[in-house]
Amino acid sequence: MRALAYSFRLGWAGVRRSGGSGAFAVLAISLAMIVLGALLLITWNGERLLARWSSAAEFSVYLRDDATSEERGAIEAIIDQSGVGAAREYVSKAEALTRFRREFTDLAALAANFDDNPFPASVEVRLRPEAEADGRAAAVVKQLGSAAGVADVGYDSEWLGRVAGTLRTVRGAGLGLALLMAVAAAVTVATVVRLGLHARRDELEIMELVGAPLAFIRGPFVAEGLLQGGIGAVVAVLLLAAGFAVTGSWWDTEIRTILAGGTIEFLPLPFVGYLLAGGMIVGSVGGFAAARHAG
Amino acid sequence: MYSRGLYALRDLSLTVAQGEFVFLTGPSGAGKSTLLRLLLMQERPTSGDLVVNGQHLARLKRRDVQEYRRNIGFIFQDFKLIPTRTVMENVSFVPEVMGTSEAQQRRRAFQVLKWVGLQHRLSAYPSDLSGGEQQRVAIARALVNGPSLVLADEPTGNLDPDLSLEIMNLLREVNAGGTTVLVATHDRELIRLVGRRTVTLDQGRVVEMV
Repeated sequence: MRALAYSFRLGWAGVRRSGGSGAFAVLAISLAMIVLGALLLITWNGERLLARWSSAAEFSVYLRDDATSEERGAIEAIIDQSGVGAAREYVSKAEALTRFRREFTDLAALAANFDDNPFPASVEVRLRPEAEADGRAAAVVKQLGSAAGVADVGYDSEWLGRVAGTLRTVRGAGLGLALLMAVAAAVTVATVVRLGLHARRDELEIMELVGAPLAFIRGPFVAEGLLQGGIGAVVAVLLLAAGFAVTGSWWDTEIRTILAGGTIEFLPLPFVGYLLAGGMIVGSVGGFAAARHAG
Repeated sequence: MYSRGLYALRDLSLTVAQGEFVFLTGPSGAGKSTLLRLLLMQERPTSGDLVVNGQHLARLKRRDVQEYRRNIGFIFQDFKLIPTRTVMENVSFVPEVMGTSEAQQRRRAFQVLKWVGLQHRLSAYPSDLSGGEQQRVAIARALVNGPSLVLADEPTGNLDPDLSLEIMNLLREVNAGGTTVLVATHDRELIRLVGRRTVTLDQGRVVEMV
């Protein structure tokens, strides 16, 4: 306990003494943590939105204009018997045109010039989440694609899959970049801490000669790295929060439009905790690497 | 043995009794400092063994070395004081890094500083002190943990004859308290004045024991 208190007291003194080089080490850790934090922010929000969209997934069975009511009944029977749908709604050609006019008001003039209603009637099915997950929905969609009276089947899963794939790519590339930057930050911390170690070499020599425990000799340098890492991580979280707030206030409407009404949120507390811990771990690794040259 | 094949110490067999005061003397390069460095475990012998207080130094592991050193006080010619710390801090620093409580650190440091006659210079920095005062701080630091063995490497090398005798008298007092003292010096006059067992080394070998 005394070694811990001693290490942090001297570690803090080391941080204050390190001046510009210490600030550089803090900056290196901040940059690494900003990259990691931004990655967490993107992937966490992406997964949250993906889950929301997946739970609201649906497919639409577009009917041929000449489809008979018997064929439509057979299609609805396939859907009902499969158990994949949470809800089903028939949308007639007239309703489809009305929707288009309502949702795309800018194109209302274009729609007014139609000689004939070009929109097909459809059966819209909102899927149960488990049917989406276990692949039953995909099987039913395939079956419906070849059913009599069906012109086409539109299914959300493909673009949801593309979004999930993009998220995986972003996560992989981001993790690689964050790892690289974390290593660079640890090396920077180690270099800065070693500068402080050289400044205290007389003291360290005496500590060794009087038989001071290694925890007292090396502890302050590990603590110095940990504190630099902690400060760097706090700076990173504050900058991320500020960036998030500014982005949200400037482009709120655009974000909502792109995300189809969805919103993005800042990282929850546990993730902020992980970032702080990450910064401290990176700093400690750097401090420990430098401390191995002491004693 | 040095890497280029020269011997720093060779065929050395020396026994120092507990509570004894022994001078190591000889010309520069005779091996006096090397013997003290071996005893302080700053170096390890390429062959042979050193036994201190029943401990075979060649067999000590790293952690044991630190523990072994806690029982040894050292004094160097260049004092090796920390320039950024006051007299009090230079001495209390030793019990501090052993994990001793702050009150005890200050009490022990004050006791030894009073004993060496520097109780009025507690807040001074090494640069404010004379050579004799700096060496007295170094002696206080060597004694603050109550070692059973004190090693002094040319402790009077930077001091004038009067101050040298003053420092030797302090070491004699330390020895009178039962602490074993080993002093490396080439100052024959000082050895004559103090008058204790003297081991003379030359080219790494013992050439005379008086």
